[in-house]
Amino acid sequence: MTKIYKLFIVTIVGFLVIGCTSPKKYLYNYGNYSQSYYNLKKYQTDEAGLELQKAMEKTIAESKNSLSKRVPPGMYANLGYLYLKAGKSSEAIESFTKEKTTYPEATHFMDRMIKKVEVTEGKNNE
Amino acid sequence: MNKMNFSKLILIVVAIFIFSGCSAKYITKGEEFPRMYDQQPKSILILPPMNESTDAEAKDYYMTTVEEPFAMMGYYIFPVEMVSEIMKQEGVYDTDLLYNMPLDKLYEYFGADAVLFTKIKKWDLLYAVLISNLTVSIEAKLVSTKTSEELWKYTGTVVVDLSSNSGAGGLAGLLIDAVATAVSTATSDYVDYAHVANSKLVYTLPAGPYSESYMKDQEAKLVDQTPVQ
Repeated sequence: MTKIYKLFIVTIVGFLVIGCTSPKKYLYNYGNYSQSYYNLKKYQTDEAGLELQKAMEKTIAESKNSLSKRVPPGMYANLGYLYLKAGKSSEAIESFTKEKTTYPEATHFMDRMIKKVEVTEGKNNE
Repeated sequence: MNKMNFSKLILIVVAIFIFSGCSAKYITKGEEFPRMYDQQPKSILILPPMNESTDAEAKDYYMTTVEEPFAMMGYYIFPVEMVSEIMKQEGVYDTDLLYNMPLDKLYEYFGADAVLFTKIKKWDLLYAVLISNLTVSIEAKLVSTKTSEELWKYTGTVVVDLSSNSGAGGLAGLLIDAVATAVSTATSDYVDYAHVANSKLVYTLPAGPYSESYMKDQEAKLVDQTPVQ
């Protein structure tokens, strides 16, 4: 019985050591994105919107700190859409372009968005 | 506690694990979701959830939890908030309309290989004198935009027993606890458990092209949820 007890302790210690030596890195570094997104839905204030934008910009800045070293899928696009709603058309187009160069899967959708922004811009300049 | 008792305790714990394991039937990802490996979708369009729960806010709140876990599985995930706002503008935010929309239209607009439908089945708090439970249950389904076939489906449920940590004793104590529980269970708790429910279902999804396990996880095991005939 003492042997079983010892074995148990060794196993536990083993788990603890493994837990300590390998800090887990994920495919992407989302940072506070999901939490900030939830806060926006919950409080629906301008501050919460700004917090979300900051969280996105931080996620993009710290994307290298992940297994993929890439910005998470959709992050540039979501941010670009925030810029677009704030009337910053050129920043929006820049973000949409980054989304499709990072993820070719987004090309079709992003091209559609960029075209839409350009058409609206053209109308405004007339 | 002496060593004898301690060893017994461990044996009991191990026995419980073995027995509870017996009641679940396991199946591999390759057996359960062969279409995922045949069709190999690369991008997923997450639609706003369908809410079957009694909580009207559950839809907006749950939506904020889905993007991250599915992206972590190695798929390209379309920007959830942006997509939902565009859907609103196009007049198809109402989930019934959305869910009856022809899939080829979604492919045409977004260029997504697959669409993720999520259904909030339970998002509620049951509290009575003797039991109080918080339940979050999510059903997720991935459908191909090209073949309209169901590629993957799984349900994640979390039931949290809130009555176990009684402070005061006796029946009066239980009543106080029940009230305290109801007060302390803020909406943020639901979202925390929604994250847990997501992790319970997303692990069964075959890994996507950005994952190291892509096309290598056919043998990975999961609990078979197919009802017994």
